[in-house]
Formats: sequence, C-alpha cells, structure tokens
Amino acid sequence: MRTFYILLTKELRSFFLSPVAWVVLAMFMAICGLSFSWSINILREKPQDQSIVQWTFVPVWFWLYYPFLFPLITMRLFAEEQKLGTLESLLTAPVRTWQVMLAKYFSAVIFYVVLWLPVLAYFGILTWILRGKVEIPQGALVGSYLILFITGLFHLALGSLASALTKNQIIAAILGFAFILLHFLIGVFVMQQAQDHQEFRPIMDYVAIKGHIESFASGLLDTRPMVYYTSGTLFILMLTHQVLEYRRWKS
Amino acid sequence: MIEVQHLTKRFVGRTAVDDLSFEVGKGEVVGFLGPNGAGKSTTMRMLTGYLPATMGTARVAGHDVFSDSIRARREIGYMPESVPLYDEMRVVEYLNFRAALKGLRGRAVKENVGRVMDLTGLKDVQRKIVASLSKGYRQRLGLADALVHRPRLLILDEPTNGLDPNQIRQVRSLIAQLSTEHTILISTHILTEVEMVCRRVIIIHRGKIRADDTPENLARSSRSAGMLTVEMKAPAEEATDALQGLVGIRRATAVPSAANGGWQQFEVKLDTGADPREEIAELTRGRGWPLRELRANQATLEDVFVEITQRD
Repeated sequence: MRTFYILLTKELRSFFLSPVAWVVLAMFMAICGLSFSWSINILREKPQDQSIVQWTFVPVWFWLYYPFLFPLITMRLFAEEQKLGTLESLLTAPVRTWQVMLAKYFSAVIFYVVLWLPVLAYFGILTWILRGKVEIPQGALVGSYLILFITGLFHLALGSLASALTKNQIIAAILGFAFILLHFLIGVFVMQQAQDHQEFRPIMDYVAIKGHIESFASGLLDTRPMVYYTSGTLFILMLTHQVLEYRRWKS
Repeated sequence: MIEVQHLTKRFVGRTAVDDLSFEVGKGEVVGFLGPNGAGKSTTMRMLTGYLPATMGTARVAGHDVFSDSIRARREIGYMPESVPLYDEMRVVEYLNFRAALKGLRGRAVKENVGRVMDLTGLKDVQRKIVASLSKGYRQRLGLADALVHRPRLLILDEPTNGLDPNQIRQVRSLIAQLSTEHTILISTHILTEVEMVCRRVIIIHRGKIRADDTPENLARSSRSAGMLTVEMKAPAEEATDALQGLVGIRRATAVPSAANGGWQQFEVKLDTGADPREEIAELTRGRGWPLRELRANQATLEDVFVEITQRD
C-alpha cells in the first residue's frame, strides 16, 4: 500500500507539472462554464422538459468533447514511460507491475474527478443565490455525477490500455479515442436496433452509454450500467496489466 | 551473491542468451564484456527481474530473481545503459522518490540521499531540474539512484557510456571506491577501465560465455602472449636459424617489412613458460650482431577480447 501511495503521489505531481493537464483543465472549465450559463439562459426563456442539471451535464455538444477528454488524460500514462525507458528503472525497483499500473490509473481518475469539481461549485453558488426560490434536483445531480464517474472509470481504463499498447503518445491518444468511439457507436447501434427488435432491449440497457448518461442525469439510477461499467473497467485494467507484462517480456 | 544456472533467453527468431552459467562471489568486482548484441544487457535485465528467462535459474543474495523477485530486487542497485530519468523532477526529489520506492523511510531517506549525493558529487546540482543536467551529471544521478538503498549487489550497464575522458576517470575512481563495499557486475566497452577496476572478467559472445578469468590470466592466455620481439643487425636467415636453435624458442620469424638500414626485426614464439632473453643477448654478443631491442610482448585485455569475439 505504501509503494502504491508513493507511486500515486509521484504520478499526481507529474500530472500537475504537465502543460497538457492544465490546458485540458482550462478548456474543460470553459466548456462547463459555458454549458452552465447557457442552461440558465435556456431555462430563463421558457419552461423546459429537462432540468438545469441535464442541460448542464448533457448539453447538445456533450458528445463533441466528452470522448476527447479521456485520451488527453491517459495518453502519456504508459506511452511516455515506455518511450523514455523509465518503466525499466521503475520495474527493476522492488515494485510490482500492478502497483505501477493502478497508481497511474488512479492518478488519472483523481485528475478526472478534479475536472468535474468546479461544476459542483457552480450549483452550490446558484443554490446560494436562489436560496429556496428554485429547487435544484438533488437526485439528478447525484445521478449525473455517479454516471460521469463510473463511465469515466471505464473510459480512463480504455485510455490506459491504449497508452500501454504503444510508445507514442499521439498514437495512444488516437487509439484511446477509437476505443471510446467504438464503444459509443456499439451503444448507438444497439439503441437503434432496439427500436425495431425487442430482443435488443436487454442488451441496450447494458451497453448504450448515451441512454445511461441521459437517464442518470434525469435522476434515474439503474444498477445494470453500474455493474457493466465496473466489471468492464476491471476487465480492461487486467488486460492493461497483461499488455504491460507482455511488452516488458519482449523488450 | 549471484548464481546463474543454464540461463537462456530466446526472442522471436534469435537466442540472445544461450545456456549461461556463472557465479559471482560476495565482494567480487566482475567485468561483463562482449560486443554489441552479445547478450550482456539481456542477462543484466534478467538478473534484475525485468525480463523473464526462457529457461534456467538466477539467484541474487539467495533469492530467486524470478519467483522471489521483489526480495531479490531489494538487494540490487541497477543502472540501465540509457540511464532513464524523470526529466520534470529536481535531482533531490528524484532521489527521494527512488529511495522511498526502494523501501527507505523517514530519516533514512534523507540520510541516504545526502550520502549518495556526496559520493557522486551531486550536491551542487540538487535543486536543478533533471532535464537541464549534462550527460555526466545524468550518469552520476543514475549511479546515485542505484546506490541509494545500500544494495549488496550493483549491476552497472555501460556506466561510462558517452562520457568524456575526465568524466570517465571520475566514474572509474568512484567505482573503485564502491568496490570496497559492494559486489559489482559491470558491463563496458572500455577495456582499460575493466583492467583497472575488475578483478575478474567474463567475456560473452553470441549469448555464450567464452572466457571467465582474471584479466592477467586472460592476457597470459592470449595468442600474442609468449612472444618476443628482437631487433638486431644480422642476416635474416642465419639469425632465424640461430634463434630457433636456442632452448625455449618454438619458432622465430624475420619480419621483412621491418628491415631498415640493416636492422632486422624478428618475432619469436616461445614455449610455454620459457624466457630465453638472456640466451638471446649472449647469442647476439657472441656473433657480433648489434642488438637494439629485446622485448617481451604483453598481451592486453583488448587483444583477448578481439581474439575471442572475432574467432567465430
């Protein structure tokens, strides 16, 4: 546990010393701030079917930036170490491969959580300004954060796997994006099929990420996606571990 | 300290290390030599637990490097050939991180980091960012990293690679200093360095051990050892016959290209252990042949290295 903590601290330092991380953070805050003010404007004009939480977390441009977020966070995780050769000095210290892998993965998870924290502050400020005049749907807020967290875990694992597969950060980012896009498109395909074929509905309930995010953001918590993303994350992390071991063995 | 039995590593289409067996005792300083691609780095990587073996076993300080890898790695200080470092960290931060990773805690981290910075001359640059260090300082930082947890075994892969002669001299004297406390396995291309620092040499070629002895014994076993060079003013044929008539001389050859103003050079191959220099001197005096050189050839480790690695 101590080794894991040492590695995690080092990874977090590296994250926050990297200019890419600050660019991502700044861009993300700009997008979220824009979404938030845009959603307030929409709701001021006329009553809407969707709550402020849904407008903020899943705006129309959500799918334009969300899949890009993960490759940017994860691309350097293993690719950089493999390119610089530092993985060799890391793994010849008394450290296990899974400790290195989990420390890197959780540093990415912490960074991802940090990205979403300012939005929580926006809602806090709004609640304080409105003070009882308008109710912010708490269930939708919890649901949004929960689904963004668990899908985040899954996508960060996909990004980590992509980074473990190559020494080149750009290729790692492209691969990571391809994995996430493929998963998204499978979900869209299954959703479309489910409209005409009832037998696709149970599969859709598990794999359609677009549906998951929309339903959680409306406050509807479903355990099936949670099981799906958690088990998917574990599987992909195991795969990442195997890839790292394989690349080490053939180096 | 190191016990290697039938160690083999095969990659797709080639065998990098082929049935290697050797032992290194506690306190030994062993030079691990071989041409590029001979399997030195692969062997070192297996000893540090980084690469698994295809076959065979390796133990460090009694711990199997494959099945009890973490314990074995605690005993090893390893400096890889390329000296990979985290460029964004400061020198002292990097060493603190590595010391903690290798199991040191609290005050022991500070003490040992201070000790290795003193030893490797890094104190002046301890607040510098690693990326801004010169090649020589990067090499020293790699060495400090290998030493920080007081390992019993040091494995140094080309520690003087890319350094200038002054820096090579500094690193060499540092290794000589370390040899009093640590068992050292060192791979290098600079053979004078090995002759100065190592008390034993293992030469590996195409994944196999081709020689394992002290540098002196290896030099003695060289083809160019047991030879004399004689230069005198004498008729080539007559002098060759006269030299071959002496006890202890197996063969004498006049070197044609060396004939210069009547001076003639001869290469004399001796019987094992023979030293007929006195008899040769008496012969030249008796025949009235002026003698201006009578020299026993000293084979160097470089001669041995070239002989062994170019034999195949």
